[in-house]
Parts: sequence; C-alpha cells; structure tokens
Amino acid sequence: MNRSPIKLLVLTLAPALLGLAVFRAYPIGLALYESLYTTIGGERAFIGLGNYLDLLTDAGFWKSLRVTLWFNLIINPLQVALALALALMFVQKLPGMAVFRLLFLIPIGISLPVAVIIWRIVLLPEGFLNGVLGGVGLGPYRFLTSPDFALYSIIAIATWKGVSYWMIFLVGGLQNIPPEIGEAARLEGASPWQRLWLITLPLLRPTLLFVLVADVTINFLLFAPVFMLTGGGPRGSTNVLMYEAYKSGFVFGDMGRAMAIVVCLVALLLVIVGIQFRLLSSAPPKETP
Amino acid sequence: MPPVLRKAVLYLCLVAAAIIFVLPLWWAILSSFRPNDAIFRDLFPFTPRALWPEPFTLDAYVAIFERGFGAIIANTLLVAALTTALGLVVNALAGFAFALFDFPGKSTVLGIVVVSFMLPFEAIAMPLYTVVSQLGWIDHVAALVVPSVANGLAVFLFYQFFQQVPKDYSEAARLEGAGWLRILWSVYVPLSLPTCISAGLMLFIFQWEAFLWPLLAMPAQQFKVIQVGMAAFQDQYTTAWNQLFGAAVITALIPMLLLIPLQRYYVQGLAGSGIKG
Repeated sequence: MNRSPIKLLVLTLAPALLGLAVFRAYPIGLALYESLYTTIGGERAFIGLGNYLDLLTDAGFWKSLRVTLWFNLIINPLQVALALALALMFVQKLPGMAVFRLLFLIPIGISLPVAVIIWRIVLLPEGFLNGVLGGVGLGPYRFLTSPDFALYSIIAIATWKGVSYWMIFLVGGLQNIPPEIGEAARLEGASPWQRLWLITLPLLRPTLLFVLVADVTINFLLFAPVFMLTGGGPRGSTNVLMYEAYKSGFVFGDMGRAMAIVVCLVALLLVIVGIQFRLLSSAPPKETP
Repeated sequence: MPPVLRKAVLYLCLVAAAIIFVLPLWWAILSSFRPNDAIFRDLFPFTPRALWPEPFTLDAYVAIFERGFGAIIANTLLVAALTTALGLVVNALAGFAFALFDFPGKSTVLGIVVVSFMLPFEAIAMPLYTVVSQLGWIDHVAALVVPSVANGLAVFLFYQFFQQVPKDYSEAARLEGAGWLRILWSVYVPLSLPTCISAGLMLFIFQWEAFLWPLLAMPAQQFKVIQVGMAAFQDQYTTAWNQLFGAAVITALIPMLLLIPLQRYYVQGLAGSGIKG
C-alpha cells in the first residue's frame, strides 16, 4: 500500500466528522434559522425575531418555564444527593455487599419508558403503592391525576430510574481517592462525618461537578415521562418546556415557535451550566491539616 | 456513634434502598404472570400474598406476541445492531486518526468532537427532524440508524485507548511494509477489545432506549421500535395491565442480558469518561 497520509486522514476522519457535522452541528444552525420563520397558514414567511417576541408575551410559555425551573430545582439536587449517598454505600466493604451492589445497578438496565409503564400502574389509585400505604392507614392518593402530586410523581420516577447511573460516576470518583488519606485522618481521630466533609467531598469535587452538569442537561430536556404519563396536565402542572415545544411543532404544526422554544431552552441550559462551572470548579478550599 | 450501631444503620439504609429499587420491579414481574383480573388482588387490605405470582398464567406473554411484539423486538435489534456495527467502524477509524496522526487544527477538531457528546440528542431532535426530512428519510430505517452512527463519546474512547498503545508497535509493522489500515486491523483492533465492548454497548443501549427520536422520525408507525411500540401499546390497551407489565419485562430483559455479563466494561467506559471529561 502506498497511500499518502492526507488520503488516509480523509478516509479515516471523514465518516465520523461528516456524521457529526450533518446530524449534530447542522441541526443546531437549522434550529436558529427556522426559529426566524413562521409556517402558520401553510406559507413559510420570514418574521425575524417575531417568534421570540411572541414568547415574551405568551402566558403559556412563562407558565411552562416556571414548571421547568421548579422541576429542575428539585430533581437535580435530589438526584445528586441520593446518587452520592448510594455511591458511599456502594464502596463499603461489608458482608453481603456484592448482592446490594447488583441490586443497586438494576435500574440502569431499565429504560425510562419501561420505568414509566411500571410506575404508572404501581401509582394507580388501586395500585401497589396505595395498597401498601393503605396498610398503614394512608391514602388512597391520586398520584398522577392530581395537580398537587403529578409533577412530584414524575420527579420520583425519573429519580428512581436515574440515580444508579449517576452513582456509577461517583463510585469511579471515590475509588480514585487514595485510601491512605482517609486512613491517616482516621488515625488522627477524625470522625466519619468530618472525613466525609473535609476529605472525601473536596476530593470528589470534579466528579460531582461532572455529574451535576450532565444531570441538569438531561433533566432540562426530559420528555418521555411527561409524554407518556400526563401529556403536560393536569392543569399544565407538568407541562415542561420540552413538551411544550413538541406540542407546538408536532401537534399544532408551528415549527417556528417550537424551534424558538428549543433555542431558549438550550440557551438557558448553557447559562446554568456556565454558572455551575464558575461556582464549583474553582480551587478546592484549604484542607485543615 | 459506636461501630455496631453504625453498621446497623448502614444495613438499614442498604435494605431500604434495595427494597425501593426491587419492589416495583418484582411486582411488575409477578403481575405479568397473573391473569388481568387478579392484578390488584390482595392489595386492599394489603397481604403478603400480593408479592407472589398466584394464580399463575402465561396468557399475557402469549397475547403480547400475538399482537406483534416479536416484530417490534426484531426491528429494534436490527436498528441497534446496524448502529453498533457501523458505529464501531466509523468511530474507531476517527479515533485512530486522532491518536496517530498530526494535522493542523487537530486539537480544535478533537475538542469539538468531544463537546458534541455533551449536548444530548433531545436538544437537537426537533431540528434533526427537518434535516432528515430534507434527506427524504422520514419513515425509513436510515433515519434511525445513520444519525446515531457518528458518536463523539465513542470517538473519544477509541482515541484515548489508541493513544496509549506504544508507537513501537506501529513503527515495527511499518518497517515490515504494512499499510496503516492493515496496522489498525491487525495490531490496534485486537488490543482494543475492551474499548470495542464498552463503545459497542453504549451504542447498542442508546438505540435500545431511544424514544423521542423514533417517535418523531417514524410518524407512520409502520416500523416500530421497542420503546415507541411500548408507549403505543400503553395507549391502546390501557387496562391490559398484565400485558403492559409483560411488555415492560421483555423490554428490560434484553439489555440486562447484555449488561450483566459485560457490566465491568460498561462501568469502566462510563466512569472513565466522567473522570476525564
């Protein structure tokens, strides 16, 4: 073979780079472009920032934004905290841990739609959870059809499915911490609680930051549970922006508005991720010797 | 806290977490083996018999396959297998080029590739619909496979691994007159089997769990993949509880069969990307 490196480079790089350019980069540009057009009435017409200006005065959009922010304000800290707790348990060396480790990994093999179907029936007024709660004299509750509960039920389902996945990253981070450091602190008389706050968490910071950012990104764009369970209801209580955009584009045929919402959503996400980096990736605090 | 008490609290937490993870699943599995009119039996008032599949029947599974669930599984396996095979070739080639050759702008391009996987598929699903309809692929299998083949994370995993292979190997093979592609195939690929497994699992599971994209890209629903098929099943047979559970159990079982023996590679691939990313 006497291929020149240039030919070889093109041959090896082109398929992946072309794929990423056409199916990743180009759609982003297209979303920006299409958000400047309107398709209502069959004809496509350029309206500049019209779709964005309409959103400013669109009560449905603001309500949906509030639901999205509230949802994320609860689910992200909850998932990261629970994933951390699970990871700390996962790395313990106790008899029987192998079994618990396997059980903790189960939800990873279960897709979100599967989790949703199972939980929908578990959460029915006549379902398993109300049966158990009835045993201690509570309920029955309408977990999915009451505006007071529906959003929190979705949070619970997504958390049940998601925490094991984030736990894996944190377990990886914990195993990267040299055990001698904790051992030295223990000999100095630090309590387990002090070791967690002063040693483990500061050293785990890069992993925690990664998990938080990745988790926020996924939850900001969460779609399947709302689509399958509530359709945004009852009374708009679960109508997150991603679902609002879907309805706009694929139910009401207003692609311009849908794209404008997606662009706002991703822009908001970038701002929040940027803030998280700024706040959390600074040098870890001084450790008291 | 005395050590004995600490251990007791720890075990209590472990058992509580395990129950929360396992109980809904166990109830789903046993309910899929019950007749539909017995699903909610023994719950009000709650008795432990609610945790046992009795009366036992396979009716739900028979009904699911009579309703065409077998074809849906085959469709999804086809899409996932095609994506995995093409994805391994395309992303390994790119990883190889990034690891072995220098060219102007390399670090910028590599940076963009790595960042591209931080942006979730959901964010671009709707504009991607426009791209794919411009290509005329709506309702074609290509719409499900082709956009998922190139994957920034898979490129990164291969790049990372190939970079660690000592340069002597490829230089020795060069001196013997082997071409670069031959070197990739007979030196690098055999060494990178664990990376192939973790990247392959990632691509496969990504397709197996895809929901929003197949929902948008296949509006005619002639060719259904499993997550969409299950959601449609849920709309159609709202109260066939045992069949819904059966469909959910089958859908969860197939990736589990892959994940349980290969979990080490999956966890390594994921955790590794998290530490470096």
